[in-house]
This record gives sequence, structure tokens and C-alpha cells, in this order.
Amino acid sequence: MSDQMTTGKLIRRALAESPVLAEGLRLTLVMAMVGQAITIVTPVVFQQIIDEEILNPAGIDIGDVIVRAAVAFAALIVGIVVGRAALLRLVRTSSAGLSDLRTMTFNHLLRQSVLHVQAERRGNLVSRVTSDVTTLQEFMEWGGVSLVVASSQVLLATAVMFYYEWRLALISLVGVTLYLYLMRWFQKILRRNYDSVRVEVGKSLGVLSESISAIPVVRAYGVETETKERVADALESRFQREYKTNWFGNSLFSSAEVFAGAMTTAIVVGGVVIGVSQGMTAGELIAFFFLTNLLIEPLQIVVETLEFSQSAASGLRRVLEVLDSEVEIEDPDNPVDLPDSGLAVRFDGVGFSYPTGGNVLTDVRVEIKEGSRVAVVGETGSGKTTFAKLLVRLLDPTEGVIEVGGVRLDRVPLAQLRSRVAFVPQEGFLFDDTIANNVRYGRLDATDAEIFTAFHELDLGDWLDALPGGLETMVGERGAGMSAGERQLVALVRAWIGSPDLLVLDEATSAVDPSLDVALRHAMDRLIKGRTSVTIAHRLATAEAADDILVFERGYVVEQGPHRHLIERGGVYADLYADWSAGTKTV
Amino acid sequence: MRSGELTPWSVLRDGARLIARFVRRHPIAFVIAVSGAALYASAIIAASRVIGWVTDTVVVPVLDGNESYSGLLLPAAVAILAVAILKAVGIVVRRTGAGYLQLRTRQDLRNDLLDHQLSLKMSWFDKQSIGDLLAVADADVDQGTGVLGPLPYASGVILLLIGSFVMITLIDPWIGLGAFIGLIIVIAIDIRGSWITYKMWEEVQEARGRVASVAHESFDGALTVKSLGREEYVSKRFGRESDQLRDRLIDVNSTWTTYQTVIRALPQAISIVLIVVGALRIDAGLLTPGDLVTVAYLLALLAFPVQLIGFVLWDLAGSQAGWRRIEAIFEAEDFISYGDREATPEVGPAPVLTDRVHFTYDGSEPVFEGLSFDLRAGVTVAVVGPTASGKSTLSLLLARLWDPATGDIRIDGRSLRSFAASELPREVGYVAQDAFLFDDTVAGNIALGGGFSQHEIVQAASLAGAHEFIMELPAKYETVLGERGTTLSGGQRQRIALARALIRKPRLLILDDATSAVDPSVEAAILRSLKSAALPSTIVVVAYRPASIRLADEVVYVDEKRVVAHGTHHELLASTPGYARLVQAYEEDARRMEQEAS
Repeated sequence: MSDQMTTGKLIRRALAESPVLAEGLRLTLVMAMVGQAITIVTPVVFQQIIDEEILNPAGIDIGDVIVRAAVAFAALIVGIVVGRAALLRLVRTSSAGLSDLRTMTFNHLLRQSVLHVQAERRGNLVSRVTSDVTTLQEFMEWGGVSLVVASSQVLLATAVMFYYEWRLALISLVGVTLYLYLMRWFQKILRRNYDSVRVEVGKSLGVLSESISAIPVVRAYGVETETKERVADALESRFQREYKTNWFGNSLFSSAEVFAGAMTTAIVVGGVVIGVSQGMTAGELIAFFFLTNLLIEPLQIVVETLEFSQSAASGLRRVLEVLDSEVEIEDPDNPVDLPDSGLAVRFDGVGFSYPTGGNVLTDVRVEIKEGSRVAVVGETGSGKTTFAKLLVRLLDPTEGVIEVGGVRLDRVPLAQLRSRVAFVPQEGFLFDDTIANNVRYGRLDATDAEIFTAFHELDLGDWLDALPGGLETMVGERGAGMSAGERQLVALVRAWIGSPDLLVLDEATSAVDPSLDVALRHAMDRLIKGRTSVTIAHRLATAEAADDILVFERGYVVEQGPHRHLIERGGVYADLYADWSAGTKTV
Repeated sequence: MRSGELTPWSVLRDGARLIARFVRRHPIAFVIAVSGAALYASAIIAASRVIGWVTDTVVVPVLDGNESYSGLLLPAAVAILAVAILKAVGIVVRRTGAGYLQLRTRQDLRNDLLDHQLSLKMSWFDKQSIGDLLAVADADVDQGTGVLGPLPYASGVILLLIGSFVMITLIDPWIGLGAFIGLIIVIAIDIRGSWITYKMWEEVQEARGRVASVAHESFDGALTVKSLGREEYVSKRFGRESDQLRDRLIDVNSTWTTYQTVIRALPQAISIVLIVVGALRIDAGLLTPGDLVTVAYLLALLAFPVQLIGFVLWDLAGSQAGWRRIEAIFEAEDFISYGDREATPEVGPAPVLTDRVHFTYDGSEPVFEGLSFDLRAGVTVAVVGPTASGKSTLSLLLARLWDPATGDIRIDGRSLRSFAASELPREVGYVAQDAFLFDDTVAGNIALGGGFSQHEIVQAASLAGAHEFIMELPAKYETVLGERGTTLSGGQRQRIALARALIRKPRLLILDDATSAVDPSVEAAILRSLKSAALPSTIVVVAYRPASIRLADEVVYVDEKRVVAHGTHHELLASTPGYARLVQAYEEDARRMEQEAS
């Protein structure tokens, strides 16, 4: 999607995505205009009463005055009722439509590949479904309404003016057009200033939030004074920018007031001059004063709304960009079920590179037998984690084919794949909920008893018993109430409870202490007998015990085979192993 | 300020106090802004007066054909333009004054908040969420001072109302009374409507917060959600919150719309009544058409400002909500107490004494009950213990980020508490597991405000094993790292954080699992070079890796809330079975596997 997409096109796209938005829109607009038409009643009644009663040489007929007033009143009440109904309709449809749009955007973001979600800053993703949609909502409810209302007011006021005296109406129209251009021009100048304000605001908030987040570091290094100065400097330059822009904007907009005064002057002068020659009445000219007011006031709103609509349009553009972006990992059109037996794995000439370039994996050819335990080793950045993510289809390869259980991975229905294949990433991410509910993410219908059993099966019963609330212990925001090692334990149980046929572990116990780690690994070995497992190992003891080892270096599988073979070979693995065992020796 | 039930009156009363508090700091700006508002109000009243005068002296006589307009138009034009200019000047003065007041107050509050937080204890931070603290410094400061923007305008509107009322009464007391009653009704409905919608709006904000936090958590845990195939579950959860928000929004906007329609229509209704009454009064010869036009024009001009009175109530209530969260921080008085001792950084490694330390985090089991140990100057010590035995807590206590509940920690015989603010860090270096990097250059991150030479920076980076990869960065030491150093890998971040501590040549260096993300072979190299660098430090290392433990001269084994054993690695292997089990787990395991294999 390009920036060139006009606002009109944007709106049509939005209506297409979320049809609720457009429901009964036409009727709503008509109703809103009828509701607004009523503002024109007062000046007209005023004119008639002045001309036909007050300035009538025959004197004032009070009965007549009251009849006219009663008619105006009736019109006013009709206007209120219809106008309110229109606004209520608009509120309902826009809220419902935007809620749909928000959920749709969220779902779309969630379906995008890990690569995409990780590349974006989290805050950006969140604002797609919060502030961007909120901007739209505010525009629909305040801006959109006042835009409709104000433009119908302008139209009606202009019509009445032309009815009274077309030359004078023309003067107003020219004046109003000039005024509109003036305001637009001011806004353009101001926007540039606002942009620089936004930059300063962003900078100062960056420095401020960094300083608050870093308070432990600031204190540990005794740099309180420097930190305060940095923040104070950023805030001062922000103030200067904001203040200047504020002053500038005030001056621009108040000059518009002078312009409005000039217009009233032109109406008086023009009205008197034209009125004398064209037989205009005093009441009509006085009505013009009020009509001019009815013209200028909504124009101010329109101009402000235009600015508003700019930000709503860019909010909408960002939301539509999300909806337009391709979902890389999609459910297959012609799905093939996995076999009921255990799962073997085959990588055939698989490569992966980032869209920005840079090969992560090249020509990976690997066969993993059903029910075997495979360890993956290599230095940081050698492509191990990417290999794991390809294997569980969190990413799709840019080259080659991956098969699981003899079926091409991209032909397996995603729901089936996720229930048969479990992946445990290194960071044990926990949701702000109880331990039990966190484990349930692995199997939604798991009972407390089953979860309890799962902990014991993995030899984690003691750990669970030591928790104050047992399974009901709250883990805190992002699991902050637990240590990194404890989070990994819960994540492991979560994967285990789904009883997967293929288990992929990415340094899943790296933060657990050695004796617990060893106990855990033995429990796992016992449990996964007969299932296929692929473990990215941070400790080579895991590799030693595996049936097969894959050694990665700079994106290539450079060695493959059981521990003893690789040691005999004296290659990359042998070196890694020597390093590691020198490191573990305690004597 | 924290008075019980919120009512419009309590909001007005507390709002006045809050405003007084802000205004006291910048009184001149406030006076200027209010003067501008007064000027603006007078200009509006004058404008209606001028229109009435033009009606009586120009429009009616000329258009009735009683007079020629020559000579009448110039004064009319000048008068109309003059009041317009007056109005414009009033706007500039008011808005500029108010802007200054508001922006300066925000700046003050943000500076004060940081100052205050920098002097609070870590035990206070432990109970806060960083996200909340950031929100206070950002959104809540904006919201808390929100009332300062419209305040001068609102006081201008009050002047305008009083002035209008006086002028209308002078023209015709009965119409004045009618207008007065009408305006009171409008304002009453306006305030009531604003109040009700404000209360509903707070619910909207809560619902909006829940939507945001579900979104945040879902994207944060995206890897987990996707790998478990739980997209639909999470999506339903989000949909529920989104629907809640939708319903709240429909509620509040429906109510608001109803009030708005009434508020907009009422001035018109009043105008219609006014015309009828005006016609009667003119008929009785008590009023001129010009007077009637003046009053009607004034009412038309008042319609908009009166609508804004309700907004001020919103702003007042909103400001107080924001301010309460700001005030909660200012009211925290958990200050760190400092002594007046100055650091003596140049005298080489320091002996460390930990004497019967008791420590408990709020609301949990005690971490230490009588933890004591004694370290000779220059020794390298590994702190070892099972998961959750308090190793990290010990590091925090040694760096005085927390204080023991009872007992004392001394460095070179001096209690950590006796140092003046910012003095202790000149002797104690602390490196945590999660390396915090600033949005600054590599060099800036290492120097962190200290006046170090380029040579010293490179030396420290080399010692920390960071020099090589830094030289491969696009601008080497001048590379800007971006927010939280996200462009670097975990291990690289840790090495820069390590260099930051080393450059200060601390007398005591604490490494809390500070190389956990570094490849083992690189870590071993770093530790070896630390030992051979003859660094003038006593080093305390928290680590699991046997390699790190073997590089230490001594081991302190912590378990069961105290020091179980303290000695060399070999001594502990022989004397302390728990220790042996823990550190030999892998070796033991390997041996067992070999036996099984053979």
C-alpha cells in the first residue's frame, strides 16, 4: 500500500473491510443534515419578525409573533429528535465496525510469522490495535459527525443567504473561501512545526523512560547527577520547541479572528450599499450578521477536523497496511494429515535467508528417524534456532522442502501440526495468570490432576510443592514473580502436557541449576522414549546421550552422527566437546 | 486531595487547590493568561454592542430610506474591525500565557519525578511496575496538568457571562433576568451531562487499558502462542476485551450525544423566546431594535463558550485522576539514607565483611538469616548455591542496591551505609545478568558519564572481550546502540556492561551471572584475562559453570538462608556433600552414562 492512496480510497477500503461501518450510513447522513437544518430557523424567524412586525409601520401583532415563534419551536424540537437519532446511529455503527476492525487487525498480526512479529517493536504492534484504531474511532465520532453537521450548516446558511440577496451572499462566499484557504495554509505551516515538536517530545520521553528503567544501573554506577542533567536538557529543549510552536500557532489562528471581523465589516458596508439600491430590508441584513456567524463557526470546526482526518487517515493507512500484508505461514489449501505413527523428519536442500538478505541456513540435508533423539550443537549464530523454527513451521524455508512423517510440512493443517509437534523456546514466556492456566495453554482441557501429574512425571513435584499457592500461584506480569529457570520449568511442562509426537527444545533448560537440569533430562529421556525429539543443546552431555548429533557452523550442517563417531573424526564437534569438558571438570 | 466520594463539588474544590498549587510556581504567566482572557471577554461584549449600535444608527435608518449612508460607514467599519483586533490580541495573550504555564509545569513535574525516584530505595521500586512509572512520567503528567490549558479560557468565560448579564440587565432588566435563568439552566444541564459522561469515560479508559495489555502480552508471547498453536484462544480473549470496550464506548457516546444535542438546541430556544419578549418590549416602546439585536447577537456568541464549561469539569476531574498517580510517587518517602564518607578509589582491592545479615523481600519467606563471611583483599570468590538460594540477592546487597534488614556489610572496614550518595559506586562495581545499555554510543555506554580517555575505554573493552566485535561495528566505538542496545546479541551486551564496570577499576567487582549469554569458550577467556590482568579488585562471581568456579580462589556455598561452607573448591568438595552434588552433577552424569555404555 502506498502513501498515494487518497483519503477517499482509504475510506472505501475501510468500509469494505468492516461493512458494519457503512450500515445505513446514507440515512444517518440525511438525518444528521435534517437535524442541523434547524440552526437556520433562528436567523430566519428573526428576520421575519423584525421586518414584518417590529419595523412594520402598522405596528406589532403579538398573536402573529407568537405563531411564528411556535412554528420555530416545533421545528427546533423536530431537529433535536432527528439529529439525536442520527448521532446515535453513527455511534453504534462506528463502535461496532471499529471493534471488528480492531479484532481483525489483531488476528492478522498474530497470524504473521515469528520473523515479522520479532522484527517490529512490540510497542508498534500494540499501537496498531490500540491508538491507531482509537484515532479512527475519535474521528468517526467527533470529527466525522461535526464534519457532516458543519458542512450541512454551511450549505444551508449559504442557500438562505442567496435567497435573501445574491450579491451579498457572493461577498460572504468569497470571504469564506479565502478564510478557508488561509486556515489551510496556516495548518500546513503549523504541521511542519508540530512535526519538530513530535521529534522533541519523542526524544525527551525516550531519555526520561530510559533513565527511569535504568535506575538500578544509575545507582550502581553513581551517575545520578549526569542522569538528571541529561533529562533536564532534553526536557528544556522540548519546552523551547513546544512553547515557540504554541506561540506561533496562537498568532496564526488569532489573525483568522481579524479576518472574520473584516468579513463582518464587508457585510455591513456591502449590505448597506447594495441594500439601498436593491431594496433589501433591515431584517434581512441583520439576518446576514447571524448567518455569517453560522458560516464561520463551522468552518473552524471543519479545518480542525481536516487536521484530525489527516491523523485518522494515517492511522487507517497503518491498519490497512497490516491487513494487506501477506500472512507467510498459511493453512494449506489441500491439507494432508500426518500419519498416526511416530514422526520422522526430512530436510531436503533447505535454505533460509532474511528478506533483508543474509543467509542463515544453506542447503541443509538431514534425515531424522522416527523415535530417535537428536541433539543440535554449534556456536551462537550458527543457525540452530532457525533450524528449530523451520522444523516446527514458525518460519517457512526460502529454499528446499521439509517433510514430517512423510508429509510436506506446508501441507499439514496448522492445528494438527501444533498438537503433534511441540516447541519450547529458550525464553520461558509466561502469561500473567496462574501456573495451572499457563500450563493449559499447552492443552486447553487439561484438568488440575493431569497438570499435577505432569509436574511429577518430569520430577518437578518438589519444586511445585514448595510454591506457596501450588498450581494456583500467580506468576506475575510476564512471569516476573519467577526466576528465569523456574519460567523454563513451567514452559517445559506446558509443552509436555500436550503429549507431542515430535518435541523440539531450544536450550529449554539453560537457566536451570545443574543438578535439577540433570534430573530433568533423565525424566525427559524416560518420557520421550518412542517419540522423536530434537534438542538444541547448551550442555554437551545432552549431545553425548543422543542417538544422533547435528553440528552447525555458519549456517551449514558440517557434521552428523553419533557422539563416538564424531569424536573419532576429530572435527568441529570434537573441538567443542574438548572445550566443554575442560569447562565442566571440577577437579 | 484524596477525599471520599467524588462529586462535582468535590471536583471543583480539589481542582481549585490543584490549580493553586501549579499557579503558585508560575504566577506571572497565569496573570498574563487571565488578563488575555478578560480582554477577549470584553471584546466579545463590545462586538455585540457594536453590532447593536450599527443596527440602530446605520442599518435600520438607511435601509428604511430615512438617511443616506455617506459618512456613516467608515466609523461602523472601524468599530467592527477594532473589536475584532482586540479579540485577536486577547486570544494570543491568553493562549500564550496558558501555554507557558502548562508546558513549564509539565517540565517541572517530570524533572521533580525523576529526582524523587532517584532517591528512593529499591524496595519501593520492587513494588512498582516500570511500565506504570513510565506512564506517570508521560501520560499522567500531561493529564494532571490538562486543566491548565483551558483554565484561563474558562475564567474568561465566567467574566464573559458576568459582563453579558450586566449589559443585558442594563438594556432591559426583564430580558436580563430571563437570559440569566436560561443560562443557569444550560450550565446546570451541561455540568450534569459532563459529570455523568466523565464517570462513564473512566470505564472506557479501563476497558481500553485491558485491550492494550492483552495485545501487549499476546505480542510479547507470540513465539509461545504460535508454537502451541493457540492463536484462536488468544484471539477470542482479545475479541472479548474489544467487545467490552465497544459496549462501553457506545454507552458513553450515546449519553454524551443526548446531552450535546440538548445543550446545542437550548440557546436557540432561548433566542426564540427572546424575540417574542423583545417584540413585546419594543411594542411597549421600552427597547430599540438595535438593543434586541445586541442581546440576540451576544447570546449567539455565548452559545459556544457555554458548551465549554462542561469540558472544564472534565479536565478538572481528569487532572485530579492524573495528579493522584503523580502524588502517590511524591508521597513515597522510602528514601535511601546516606552517610558522609568519601570513597578512596585508588588504594587497590578491598577486604569485604558480611556480618550476620538478615534479609527478607516484602511479603515472602526470609532469604537470609544470619549470613556471614569474610573476604581477603584481592581474592576471587565464586558464590554457588541451588536455584533460588539468594545468590542474586547477595550481589544486590554487596552493591548496596538493597540494604540488609539487620546485620552489616563492610568494605575495608567501613559500613556500606556510611558512604555519601554516589560515593560507594566509585569503589564497588556491579554487573547484572541483564545488561542495560543506553541509547548512546558504545564508548558512551562504557564511560557512562565518567571522564575516561579513549585509551582507557579500549583497554576496558579488551579486558571484557568486547574490543574485537566492537571494531566490526559500523562506526566502531562511536556506533550508536539504539534503544536498549537491541542491535547487539545478549552476549555482546553483557560484555559491554562488563567493560563499563572494569573501566572504573573498582576495589570490589560483583559479577551476577554477568556472562551467562556469552559462549563458554569466550567466557573462559574473559575470566582468564581478568585473573591475569592484575586488576586491583576483589571479585565476587555468581555462576553455575564449573569453569567459572574453578577460576575462583575460594567458594562461598549458600543454601538454607546462610553460608553453609566457605573455602577452596577442593575443600568444599570434600567437606560439603550438597555442594559436591550441585557442581558435579554433569560430571557425575557423564560418568554414569559411560558406565552404562560400557
